[in-house]
Amino acid sequence: MVKKIYTILLLSTLAQTKEPTPLLQQNCLECHTRQKIPSELVYRRYLMKFSTKERMKKTLLSYLKNPKKENSIMPQQFFLKFPQKEALDLNGTLLEESIGAYLDFFDVRSRLEIKR
Amino acid sequence: MRLLNIQVIDLLSSEKRSLVRFLAIYLSSTLILFSLGSYMFYTFQKHQIIDNQNAKLQLEAEKLTQKLRELHETYKKPLLYPHDPSSDSAIYDVDRGYIFGTFKPKKIDWSKEFYKKEEKLYYLHSLNPYYLGASSLLVSKDFNPKPLNELVKMLLLFLVGAGVLFTLLGLFLGRLFTAPMRESMELMNRFIEDTTHELNTPISTILTNIELLDTIYNCEGQKEMRRIEMASKTLSRLYEDLTFLKLNHNYHRALESVNISTLLEERIEFFHTLIEAKEIKIIKNLHPHITLEMDRNDAIRLLDNLLSNAIKYNHKSGKLEVTLTTNRLVVQNDGDGIKKEDISLIQNRFRRANSSEGGFGIGLDIIGQVVTRYGFTFTIDSDTNQPTKVTLKW
Repeated sequence: MVKKIYTILLLSTLAQTKEPTPLLQQNCLECHTRQKIPSELVYRRYLMKFSTKERMKKTLLSYLKNPKKENSIMPQQFFLKFPQKEALDLNGTLLEESIGAYLDFFDVRSRLEIKR
Repeated sequence: MRLLNIQVIDLLSSEKRSLVRFLAIYLSSTLILFSLGSYMFYTFQKHQIIDNQNAKLQLEAEKLTQKLRELHETYKKPLLYPHDPSSDSAIYDVDRGYIFGTFKPKKIDWSKEFYKKEEKLYYLHSLNPYYLGASSLLVSKDFNPKPLNELVKMLLLFLVGAGVLFTLLGLFLGRLFTAPMRESMELMNRFIEDTTHELNTPISTILTNIELLDTIYNCEGQKEMRRIEMASKTLSRLYEDLTFLKLNHNYHRALESVNISTLLEERIEFFHTLIEAKEIKIIKNLHPHITLEMDRNDAIRLLDNLLSNAIKYNHKSGKLEVTLTTNRLVVQNDGDGIKKEDISLIQNRFRRANSSEGGFGIGLDIIGQVVTRYGFTFTIDSDTNQPTKVTLKW
């Protein structure tokens, strides 16, 4: 049990310290940071609605291919504050990889830990 | 003066059997009823105990859900998973994939909200919305067996207490039901006691005077005299038997080496008038000097009753065979025989297989009592229209 806790702690520490991948930085975070779009809030919103990485990925992919307010799960107020996203000029594989990197970066599993 | 002051009432074996059967049925039905009731109570209480512990788990899950919600809203690093040291918990996504937790059970029963497995209680709590991506929260706690053990102890104590109480009640009821029977037996015994007491003096007088008439006077009516002697001896023997039955439990026995061979000759001689009257042919095969360690009066009652029955229930001009060996005495007669099914019944007091002859039906009961007292064995081989063979082994 103790061994397990140590392993979890170690993994979660690594996750906390990890930096965004160049792909994520370039295709997602750069723009998000500039426009002050709270990436983590978006992630939490998707997580609360879709629960699994696969389901989130599928929905995000569908939205990013055709970004419209109606396709988004974000509230209307969100679009009053932040501009409506334009379609990304990325091929399908690269888009999927970028979404994967985004989901991995904020992944809840790697952030959770048990207080000793 | 009364012959006896102490009344000893013996229940017949069939009556004892009935009493035992009544008690067995009464106690077993009571036991079944109580066991069933206790089992139902146990099952109900067990569910109550488990429900109470499940309710605590449910409360724990509600608290955890609240903390998960707070954690999801803040999402501050590090995300410290909320947990209580007294319980284990884990969160699962909508596809039942493990997210995080203090434990990771190998197999989860997703079909039940509450379940118990290997002395652990589990509660599966559904979450919506999915805070931290969790669709289900599994909370587990060790089942606390203490209340259940207390319940089992209490039920066992109750069953033992009820068992003792109802056994006593059964005995009391049994005695209550047999009271009229015991009263009847007591009345009959008292009647016999009074009758025998009143018979003693006239019988003794008749027998003494017959002997006197025989010795002193040359009486002309010899045949009539023999009949009077025979009738008087029958009465005398009946008196002795009844006295034996009444005194059996309180009589002080003097054990001595009784020469059965000689005594048997004497008792056959005692019955010679009866034997002659029925023209019975007696065949004696008596091994000499056979001795038994017993009370002389008991030996006389035993032999008299064996011989008396063999003579009484013999055909006129029948055969009476008396065989004495080192370890047995066999008396066989040529009577009408006894039905096989009646053999066990006639050993009860006041029972007779054939009422054509006089008597109270106490002979075999006396034989049975003597046989039991000295550890002998006693068998009757007979059937309708077959010779009756009585074997006494020691």
